[in-house]
Amino acid sequence: MATASAVAYRPPRVARRRTRQAVLVWCFLAPSLAIFLLYRIVPLLWNAVLSFTQWSPLRAMRWAGLDQYEDMLHDDVFWQALWNTLIFIASAPVAIAIALGLALLVSSDIRGRDVYRTIIFISYPLMTVAVAIIWRWLFDERVGLINYVARSLHLVDRPIQFLDSFVWALPSVIVANIWQMLGFYMIILLTGLQNIPPNLYEAAAIDGASAYRRFLRITVPLLKPSLFLCIVIGMLNSFTSFDLVYVMTGGGPGRATELLVTYIYKLGFSQTRFDYAAAVTVVFFLLLVSIAWMANRLSGGNVGAVERD
Amino acid sequence: MKRRTVLQAGLAGAATLTLPRASRAQAPRKLSYLTWNISDQEQLFKEEFADFRKANPGVEIEWLDKKGTELPAFFQTQLAAGTPPDVVDLQGTIWVEYAANGALLDLTPYLKKEPEVAKLFNQDYLASWQYQGKNYMLPFYIAKTLLYYNKTMFKEAGLAGPPQTFDDLLGYAQKMAKGEKTGFLTLNFDWLYWPLFKMNGIELLTPDLKKAAFNTPAAASVLERLAKATDGGAINKISWTGRWVEPNGAFAGNTVGMLHAHSSSYFFVKGQGSWINESTLGVAQAPGYWATPTNHGFGISKSTKNPDLAWAFIKHLTSTQWATRFSQSRKLLTGNIAADRAGLDYLRKDDALGAQVLQTQLEHTDRFTGNWPLPFDAQLKDAFYPEIQNAVLGRKSAKAALTDAERAVNRVVSRNS
Repeated sequence: MATASAVAYRPPRVARRRTRQAVLVWCFLAPSLAIFLLYRIVPLLWNAVLSFTQWSPLRAMRWAGLDQYEDMLHDDVFWQALWNTLIFIASAPVAIAIALGLALLVSSDIRGRDVYRTIIFISYPLMTVAVAIIWRWLFDERVGLINYVARSLHLVDRPIQFLDSFVWALPSVIVANIWQMLGFYMIILLTGLQNIPPNLYEAAAIDGASAYRRFLRITVPLLKPSLFLCIVIGMLNSFTSFDLVYVMTGGGPGRATELLVTYIYKLGFSQTRFDYAAAVTVVFFLLLVSIAWMANRLSGGNVGAVERD
Repeated sequence: MKRRTVLQAGLAGAATLTLPRASRAQAPRKLSYLTWNISDQEQLFKEEFADFRKANPGVEIEWLDKKGTELPAFFQTQLAAGTPPDVVDLQGTIWVEYAANGALLDLTPYLKKEPEVAKLFNQDYLASWQYQGKNYMLPFYIAKTLLYYNKTMFKEAGLAGPPQTFDDLLGYAQKMAKGEKTGFLTLNFDWLYWPLFKMNGIELLTPDLKKAAFNTPAAASVLERLAKATDGGAINKISWTGRWVEPNGAFAGNTVGMLHAHSSSYFFVKGQGSWINESTLGVAQAPGYWATPTNHGFGISKSTKNPDLAWAFIKHLTSTQWATRFSQSRKLLTGNIAADRAGLDYLRKDDALGAQVLQTQLEHTDRFTGNWPLPFDAQLKDAFYPEIQNAVLGRKSAKAALTDAERAVNRVVSRNS
């Protein structure tokens, strides 16, 4: 008892110092928190409220209950956009697998590996709009490099209208997205690879483990946090690939490349249906949270965790 | 010394606040002016503003220009914030939604009070800014669709002149389609493709604008023929992909027989295609003389604090003097009859073919289509066009696409009724 009360007792000076520290911490946090509240939380809550109303900048707000959500059930475009978004998300693991291969390659002792790293990474800092324009030209039917190569090699008789085709448009946009993100994934995975102690590989090699088994038993488990970080970021990026899709295809042809995020924009700013756009945004947000939560759970709850010694 | 300065400033401030309201009203009046993708005319605008200020001393003009894709979102944000500009330049039929929802000032009383203003303009174009009998805009610059044709390709295919009917149009397109070459291309945003349906007697909505009217055997047949022509290469597939640069660029590439587009396309195409001159490019009306207008007009925000001043300002901008300058500098038509006459005379000396293109914009202006005054036009476009794309690009049968489009259009109409 005496020990417990001794622990609980804090001399006034210590308590004052702690209070001062806490005030200081809150003072430093306050500007960021205020911005976060003002620009993230308040709009999020406002958006949720909006989804239960009928409102546009031109009309007064009216309570609509679940009308907007009911509309969504009968909206073919919403379902198409949702399906496309899920396909887009599903492409993230493909990009990560390619990035892992590249990371393994550039972490080995090949000549000029730094140059390769730079070349691969260079796509990431590019502005997404620039990436979209570059790929639009690459895929162009008349002057695009891809069609030129395909025709020169006699792989196709007629140029493929990549971005105007219902079949090719979405894969083409996904390719552009993968290309842009590849460098980022590679850097994350490369950092993870470099954190794996080399003595583990040496010990496994002495024990006669093949390269494949070393990769499976050492590299993959120890890369798990980095891999899941890539997956989560990849998914979030897929959800918000507005600029890439908007510039490359505008969601077309038809609705072939319409994602939820492009559909929300069009609902709001082309059709002045901010109320319905808000309802789609709520669904979009819930989906985003669920997927991020699932990915985090699957990773053991330590996505991107920094191991401490 | 410092203390004295502070004291003086404080006293001056207090004195200003105690001044009667009328005296404070001497402060400069401000007009905010939002335009749509026309920043290249800055010099001309500056002159116009200076001239306006001469006639209206003490007026400040705050001009802001937004790019094509940015303006609607920007203007909506301004409306939501309660800070719309006094004068706004709006394109196409986007204005109807704002007019119907009370964001734009009804200009009819002004036009009635000053009938000489209305007389300045081409009446058909002026009428395209009417909603429920009220006029909401004055013309800034005007255009409508027309048919450009590649005379060299026509000659090679043994075709004498532009098509007169829809059958001609598809037949001619087929004749010119060979290898890389295609026969026909259309722009498709803002209902610019609608004349293709209208020339076949197809209506989008019933006369009371309450229901879809296009799901007919005739429409299915048109759609099937368009799909077949697209599949066979007579119609260039770029026609249906909804962008500006690609279709115009394809026509400029000298491999497309006809381009259905509005007058602005000419200047874009000419800039890219060195082959374009009077002996290689022809201009004509589309079969049946049907055309979709795509105009820019000036409206006044209903919430403006200076409606009379804003009216004076748009009268100034659309006056014969300044419209003529604008027409000559931008090589376009303004809807102001005298200004356009002067603009055409000026252009004829410099670019006879360009003048010919613009001349088509003033003919058959009684045959406008695709410009329904509907406050939900954007929703309608978005409900209708993807299904048309599905049919012409071979993803759905014409009948299925029309049925789905009908369902989507009727949903939009009933939601907005």
